[in-house]
Amino acid sequence: MSALTNISRGETTIDFVGLRRRWFMFSAVLILVSLAALGLRQLNFGLEFEGGVAIQSPNPAGAGVEDLRETITSLGLGDARIQLIDDGEAVLVQTGPLDQAAEDELIDVITSLTGVERVDSSLDAVGPTFGTLVARQALIALGVFLALAVLFIAWRLQWKMGLVGIVALFHDMIITIGVYALLQFPVTPATVVALLTILGYSLYDTVVVFDRVEEYTDEMRDDHTYTEIVNRAMNKVLIRSLLTSLTSLIPVGSLLFVGSILLGASSLQDFALALFVGMAAGTYSSIMIAGPLLAVWREGEDEWTAQRHEVHRIRDLRAAKAVGPATAAPPQAPKRQPERTEASPDRPPGSGPAPRPPKKGRR
Amino acid sequence: MGRRLVGLFIVLALAWGGLGALTAAGITPRLGLDLQGGTSVVLTAPPDTDEEVLEVAVEVMRNRIEDIGGVQEPEIAISGANTVVVQLPGVEDERRALDAIGQTGQLSFRPVLGETPGETGPLTGDEAPDGVDPVTGLTIDDDLTTESYLRYERTSPLTGGATFTVLHLGPAELLGSDVSSAIPGFNTAGAQWSVSLGLTGDGGDIFADLTGEAATYPPGDPRRQIAIVLDGEILAAPEVNLDVDPGTGITGGQASITLGASPDAEQEAQDLGVVLRYGSLPVSFERSSVSKVSASLGTDSLELGLWAGGAGLILVAILLVAYYRALGLVALVGLTVFGSLLIGIFSALGALESFGLTLTLAGVTGIIVAVGITADSYIVYFERVKDEIRAGADVETAVTDAFKGAFRTILTADTVSLLGATLLYLLAVGAVRGFALALGIATVLDLIVVRLYTRRAVWLLGRTRLGDGGPFSIVGAAGARSTP
Repeated sequence: MSALTNISRGETTIDFVGLRRRWFMFSAVLILVSLAALGLRQLNFGLEFEGGVAIQSPNPAGAGVEDLRETITSLGLGDARIQLIDDGEAVLVQTGPLDQAAEDELIDVITSLTGVERVDSSLDAVGPTFGTLVARQALIALGVFLALAVLFIAWRLQWKMGLVGIVALFHDMIITIGVYALLQFPVTPATVVALLTILGYSLYDTVVVFDRVEEYTDEMRDDHTYTEIVNRAMNKVLIRSLLTSLTSLIPVGSLLFVGSILLGASSLQDFALALFVGMAAGTYSSIMIAGPLLAVWREGEDEWTAQRHEVHRIRDLRAAKAVGPATAAPPQAPKRQPERTEASPDRPPGSGPAPRPPKKGRR
Repeated sequence: MGRRLVGLFIVLALAWGGLGALTAAGITPRLGLDLQGGTSVVLTAPPDTDEEVLEVAVEVMRNRIEDIGGVQEPEIAISGANTVVVQLPGVEDERRALDAIGQTGQLSFRPVLGETPGETGPLTGDEAPDGVDPVTGLTIDDDLTTESYLRYERTSPLTGGATFTVLHLGPAELLGSDVSSAIPGFNTAGAQWSVSLGLTGDGGDIFADLTGEAATYPPGDPRRQIAIVLDGEILAAPEVNLDVDPGTGITGGQASITLGASPDAEQEAQDLGVVLRYGSLPVSFERSSVSKVSASLGTDSLELGLWAGGAGLILVAILLVAYYRALGLVALVGLTVFGSLLIGIFSALGALESFGLTLTLAGVTGIIVAVGITADSYIVYFERVKDEIRAGADVETAVTDAFKGAFRTILTADTVSLLGATLLYLLAVGAVRGFALALGIATVLDLIVVRLYTRRAVWLLGRTRLGDGGPFSIVGAAGARSTP
């Protein structure tokens, strides 16, 4: 209860930056699994990318897969994929690319078996190059968008924030694509829409988090290290991120839920699951990956390194004074922090003479 | 206080009243083919096809579709660098429509065998030969290898008025492929617009025979004309000049078609030049995708979108009210304002001919995503309000100061989102564009609602008992002790 209250009040003191090894390891594992899935299983490109014909028809006559297969095979389309969907209330037939006459014949055959008029059937016929065109254009748009987004963030916030935002974005994309490879969802132009949504969401979320960092930088720069500022901002923005991902996932979830009631199992489920994974990854990476990464990178800047030394020197002085001159402790007594625990934001990691936060042996 | 209250009422009246008025006027969002049923075809031209060529192709396709009839408002548009998207809502017989737009068609030069004034052919009723409509006396499906009766619209060079005749044509002798060049220009000697026609070697010989035959008839005789026919439509029927020798015809594979000096003649010369150069469809398109959605599947998808959107909005509203209490009520009303404005914008822009904005399934997805972005704007703002109150500010100061910081954040984040949507809309093809458009509109709307509605509503709420008093108030939601 009190932990929830603390989160809701932004009064948690989680050392996000200090615990970065944990987050980075976790993400590295996810990314490795995604890449492995991609390498081993490849993506299952749907009709729109391979080219082909999909015909969907209601099925009031209750035609079975075997009836359909027999007739369709007699047309010389033995490799067609035939499915009953919507609990047998509709049929879906997919084949490779056909010319228009063959396509017409196939529609006539199917609708005569399912007992509907030609008008009631739906058709998707895609040339082999179309999906590639859609994906290529989307990639071009993506490239231009990333470049402009970095410039915009550099101008509005800070240039390293722009680059770190892109890193977080790739993190989210790779994990989402990994889910597609792992579960063998068909990749369609709708998938491209899903990926673009995730991309937009990921960057949007990172910008909101970094905006808070930038604000605290102005407020706290006099007597805090950059790591402390980032930690403070992350703790403060945590509740916002949790609530926002909840409110973003609710509509997606309702799309998934309502979709399965109204249309039966459909490609919308793939879509919604991809969005769900991507948005969750987006929220996670903004705080756990982007924040610590930014802190580590900027701590290396001369200005912030000097700031860190200065902050620690003053604090050590104060600590010494608090102990009191009576004990005659030397002013620069604690050469090293003996109790440099990771969870203590008051004693931030990276104190001491090292110019950068130590890279290993911290646990 | 009064000024903000009035402002708030104006926003609410605009959003709710506007939607009410549009709905009362019968203006609802125009649905894409995937939501209402219909056929959509994406045609791809070879890379590096001229924009001008694509425009001609679109024009030709539009004429052909209109000729079939039975299509409500076909939409044919160039999309991206070399694709044409054809949208045919509610087509009963998509087979004919697909044939009509897909065929490259033929341009032909044909001898004229006779001319009948008016719009009715000479042979009607029982006299009508095979392939000729007994009522109009016109050939139904033009075939290049047989004789045809085709209507010809002639513009008078003097009055500019149109007169109709029916030309009796012989089989085609020359085809578009025999044309090697066609350059429109102004003939300074005769002060007239004309098209210079160049023919291939074989084509030149046939053309000489064709014109030589025509030149045997006296001037004014309809048979002295050569008809240029495209897809069963006579584009021009110039008469062979007086100085052409009946025995030899126009030799050398070069000819000039004079169109006159009228103001329209320049445009006519340009159009004829393009058609002569490119045949009928100037390029052969590859059918990249055909998507035919039955009316019932479209309705199902629409219902799905409405249910999912509605359920999502309600759940988000419940969550916000539960967590932010009185402030959540502001968000609840705000979501209805956002929703009303969004539907209103889609309705209005769909009704305007020049925009013709349609709502597609991908667009619905974009809107559902935008609900998350809108909810985030409230969360960012409300969290700051709570922070300010916990830091000891009174309600009025808290809501004012929090807005400044929150709006900065919302503006930055929305700009990134809008940037993405704009680029996708400009650069992407297919369903992605519909998604980007809806997301972009919703993002801009979010900023407007935050600025015009949320700020005023929260400020006014702060002045009521819901600002500070009891656990449901703003102060109560912040978890700070209420001031007595």
